Amino acid sequence: MKLSTVLAAAFLASSALVATAHAQDKVNLTWQMWGDEKDTALWTSLADLVTAEYPNITVTPQISGWTDYWTRLPVLASSGQIADLVAMQSMRMPSFYSILEPLDDHFASDKFDTSVFESSIIAGLGHDGKQYALPYDVGPWMVFYNRDKFAAAGLAEPALDWTFADFKAAADKLTEGENYGYANQAFDFIAGPVALGAEYFNDDNQFDLTNAGYLGAVSQFVDLTTVDKASPVFASGAGAVTASGRFASGNAAMYIDGPWSLISTQGAVDFKMGVAPLPRGEGPSRFITAGSGWGISATSQHKEEAYKALQILTGPKAAEILASAGRALPGRLAAQTYWYDVAAKDVSGTREVLAYMFEHSTPFRLNQYWNEFENLLTQYMPLALNGDSTTEAVLADIQNQLPF
Amino acid sequence: MAAIEDMTEVTSRPRSRWGNRLERREARTALFFLLPGLIGMVLFLVVPIIASVVLSFTNWKLLGTPEFVGFSNYVRLFTADPQFWPVLRNTLFFTAEYLVLNIVISLGLAVWISSLKMGQRWFRVVFFLPTFTPGIAVAIVWMLIFAPDGFFDFLMRSISVQIPSMLTDQTLAMQAVVIVSLWAGVGYNTVLFNAALDMVPQSYLEAARIDGANAWQRFWKIRLPLISPTLFFGTVMTAITSLQVFDQIYVMTRGGPGNATATLGYAIYQRGFQNFQMGYASTIAWVMFAMIMALTAVQFWLQRKWVHYDS
Repeated sequence: MKLSTVLAAAFLASSALVATAHAQDKVNLTWQMWGDEKDTALWTSLADLVTAEYPNITVTPQISGWTDYWTRLPVLASSGQIADLVAMQSMRMPSFYSILEPLDDHFASDKFDTSVFESSIIAGLGHDGKQYALPYDVGPWMVFYNRDKFAAAGLAEPALDWTFADFKAAADKLTEGENYGYANQAFDFIAGPVALGAEYFNDDNQFDLTNAGYLGAVSQFVDLTTVDKASPVFASGAGAVTASGRFASGNAAMYIDGPWSLISTQGAVDFKMGVAPLPRGEGPSRFITAGSGWGISATSQHKEEAYKALQILTGPKAAEILASAGRALPGRLAAQTYWYDVAAKDVSGTREVLAYMFEHSTPFRLNQYWNEFENLLTQYMPLALNGDSTTEAVLADIQNQLPF
Repeated sequence: MAAIEDMTEVTSRPRSRWGNRLERREARTALFFLLPGLIGMVLFLVVPIIASVVLSFTNWKLLGTPEFVGFSNYVRLFTADPQFWPVLRNTLFFTAEYLVLNIVISLGLAVWISSLKMGQRWFRVVFFLPTFTPGIAVAIVWMLIFAPDGFFDFLMRSISVQIPSMLTDQTLAMQAVVIVSLWAGVGYNTVLFNAALDMVPQSYLEAARIDGANAWQRFWKIRLPLISPTLFFGTVMTAITSLQVFDQIYVMTRGGPGNATATLGYAIYQRGFQNFQMGYASTIAWVMFAMIMALTAVQFWLQRKWVHYDS
């Protein structure tokens, strides 16, 4: 009995050794990413870059749709089936940082300097002073506008530091008959108020939605719908005729989106479009940015190899490929120029607008309940917009339903 | 005589039935043949059900280890959660309205189809089509129709009817969900009831006609009582599925505007997979389960009053 136990243990130990030896030879890393099928070739070409640099490492992308990705991620993580490389969006970092490996020790070992990336997204992919992912894209929320409609209405193109009063005047003037000057959506009530100088958090990073500043700023945007009738009411359902749809069809002259949508929006419109920073309030301009990147799973068996792969996937060549496909404004500063040449080539002024916005970026304050907040905003804001409730009551209701 | 003795022996000593070697062997064989189904049931039904009971007493957040929290999830649900009562009210409201409309419309259609001289089969297929169309696809198409400034709004404007956009109005949003559910759900019951109506013996109806019963009386006094077991089955199944309504709400309204269309099914998804409060979502699921059980039990109790079985 004892002998057999010893033999079994010896066998197990030796097979583990053999496995490790094999692992050093050839490592297959899995890479969890969102996207649709047409992106598969793009991600595969990035994975191939890793094998070209390190022939013993292969990377296998596992692609799922955006919504499914965030349902699957915690399920896979809690059942121990998470991939070695994990895609992460900056706004979800506070909920998911615990499944990722802090990268700071790896940076120290190869003296990696993160300043090659845009600083706001490096901050966005960190949590509590630790870096959990490296970015592949970045961008602020900005105003997409219909240049033809601006010209037809005799309006000057928006200035870089245009104010809310300017924005409102343009929205009012562009509203005519069944066409709106601006089409809102849920996230506008986050990015918009921040640009006006308002805060949705208190000093302890907890939600404080009923503070006078935030309430006032949200009300200004709500009034565009309720008072000025310059914007429609958005529906809480997923993918209803959204602001981008209204914009593309000419039903709305302005809406708020990010550089990640520029190439698809541009492909959908048959007019000249422009981009402008979000309007500012009384104070100076300030903008929040978001972006996505890749991190290493905290439970990965191949962290060293995953780090090597991560360096390639977020490296200059990969950024150039993604930017040249128009897929994303690279977080890597030196590669941004490729994106401007492709995705933004027919949208004049994009370079200046984005440069201005990055210069005036402000940290995007998040906490672990962020996702709940966004969902509640989508669900409840229509009540303020359709006049069933007041902005104050809606914000108080959302605040009441948030854990903090 | 010997047979009777055998029987008395068996009934007087029931335990010995399992003592019989042959029967034991048969039972083992039966178990062997049942295994594929049984394993599936245990793995995918029994274990998850037990797991969800256990989870409902924890604060598991998908990530990290769950901690046992006793009844605090249940206490929170009934006393502290500002959303539970509106959600329960919405669920019951939807169930009541949808159930009544579904049964009335599908019964009406079934009677109409069975009265047709020709084309019965064709109509049955037409009304059954939505049943095998994926619910999500149906909801997406209807969402596009009802979207603000979408096809429905265009239609209303063109006939000069002034109503707010369905999906952004607190009262109308639920009606939009009911309409979509009816469109998708009526066909199944129609075919079910139609088949039952066709089973009613013609001789009964002819006898009634000779006795001078008019069409209305023949329907209420003969056809309806005779199809009542099928009607009961349809009612119970429709009530259960409508208490669990999720697809249409997930696609069309996400529980909004406000909490106007938030139902128990959607609340479970929202808490579990959007907010990652798996323990709390399990609690809601068990409350929903208890509610469905209770309502179904009530229906079974009530059936004695109106369901007529042949026997």
